[in-house]
Amino acid sequence: MSSPPPAILPLGGGAWTIRLGDVVSRENHARVTALAGRLADAAIPGVLEVLPAYATVTVFFDPARVNPADIRSRIEATLALPRSEGAEHPAGRLVEIPVRYDGPDLHEVADRTGLAEAEVVARHSTPEYLVYLLGFVPGFAYLGDLDPALVLPRRAAPRTRVPAGSVAIAGAQTGVYPFASPGGWHLLGSTTLRLFDPARTPPALLSPGDRVRFTPV
Amino acid sequence: MTIEIVKAPPFATVQDMGWPVGRAIGLPEGGAMDRAALAAANRAVGNAETAAGIEIALGAGTFRFAEAAVVAVAGLAEVRLGGELVPHTLMVPAAVPITLYPRPERRFVYLAVRGGIAVPELLGSRSTYLPAGFGGYEGRRLRNGDSLPIGAAPPGSAPEPERGPEEEATGPLKLRAARGPQWDRFGKSAQAAFFAAEFRVAPASDRMGYRLLGPSLAPEELAALPSEAACPGAIQVPDGGQPIVLMPDGPTVGGYPKIAVLLRPEVGRLAQCPPGAAVRFVEVGTLL
Repeated sequence: MSSPPPAILPLGGGAWTIRLGDVVSRENHARVTALAGRLADAAIPGVLEVLPAYATVTVFFDPARVNPADIRSRIEATLALPRSEGAEHPAGRLVEIPVRYDGPDLHEVADRTGLAEAEVVARHSTPEYLVYLLGFVPGFAYLGDLDPALVLPRRAAPRTRVPAGSVAIAGAQTGVYPFASPGGWHLLGSTTLRLFDPARTPPALLSPGDRVRFTPV
Repeated sequence: MTIEIVKAPPFATVQDMGWPVGRAIGLPEGGAMDRAALAAANRAVGNAETAAGIEIALGAGTFRFAEAAVVAVAGLAEVRLGGELVPHTLMVPAAVPITLYPRPERRFVYLAVRGGIAVPELLGSRSTYLPAGFGGYEGRRLRNGDSLPIGAAPPGSAPEPERGPEEEATGPLKLRAARGPQWDRFGKSAQAAFFAAEFRVAPASDRMGYRLLGPSLAPEELAALPSEAACPGAIQVPDGGQPIVLMPDGPTVGGYPKIAVLLRPEVGRLAQCPPGAAVRFVEVGTLL
């Protein structure tokens, strides 16, 4: 059974976004990862970089140097390549993140979920999370999937300043704030690991496809 | 060779044309809010257009050089050398203070020095990224007493000053935009309002994004969009219906539907609009 070809939409004058799905799912993540890998392998001249997100892949290029229509043709050609079934991308690294579970919202999360604080910590630190994508600010990794018992909407009133290293949850996601910033997620604890250091190679601690486990300390 | 910040403007940072790559690790494009203005200042002193300069906002600043320097100022400002009114491109003698008085009708003024501001490059740019406190000069705004290195002058002499046409504001600024990736999620009335109505720049506007006040553009389908790539000029509409135009330091991904995307040069023109300024969007067929 063949599905219709994915939509390729312009994002500004210097990028094409390829839409592979509409929802957050491991299946879409696998499709995104596979396509991003094939586009990287294709090494299309003039492409600056490829950004894999939840259900889309965006190809950035310099419109002053290359013809956008040529880039689009190369993307279409890459999409049309037969997929090598079973050529699974290797599982990402497992990164352990030590967390002090003493966040200002731990008590409230326990209250709202009807769980004991220790149970909240246990349910947050048990799963092996998947890094779906990096973005928003440098080094911020969108991690999923959260234990369904911990799923809460964002805070009604976002904080004007969330400290760097805060470990937080919102919806079915969890993540670590790389820098002090405003934020509406629920803060369960904090880590001293640096999620992003521009002087380090690579600067970001995590990459899409990596697996993450939070370890209580 | 150095430039000394004698009296720092209220908001001044080192900026160039930003990070060419880094979107995949969440690094924004960053760099000068009005790239055309920085490029013009650089041309005037004989630098590459991409050299780092000082982006100045919200008020006056005074600078001094250890040795004579060729300097250009781009943007609406009065320039005084030791108290005397001077042209925007000039030779500044050693130790004589030069003061820039930006006019309030625009937001950003750029100061370029022959040789460029030579702070260390980080990940391929000298720009300051304030949200994370890195890049530029110590990752922060400039303060009184800071002393910044200036690079070697490029070969050849500085060109004759060019006289850019001053754009006089008459009515709302017209910004060219194309339909965004989620255009179809918006109802007919929101689609029509977007290209017909007048919007005003809200006070809550900064290097990350400009909020606009105008008719509500709330999308018909509120279904959350899984976060996907964004870019400077992308016009996101949160559930409340008031659009936000992403600017150079804005997020690299977002989950709000994008009703339209500005042509890249329009980002710099919008950047210059102070709070309360009126803008309209003019549809162009396609950006690609």
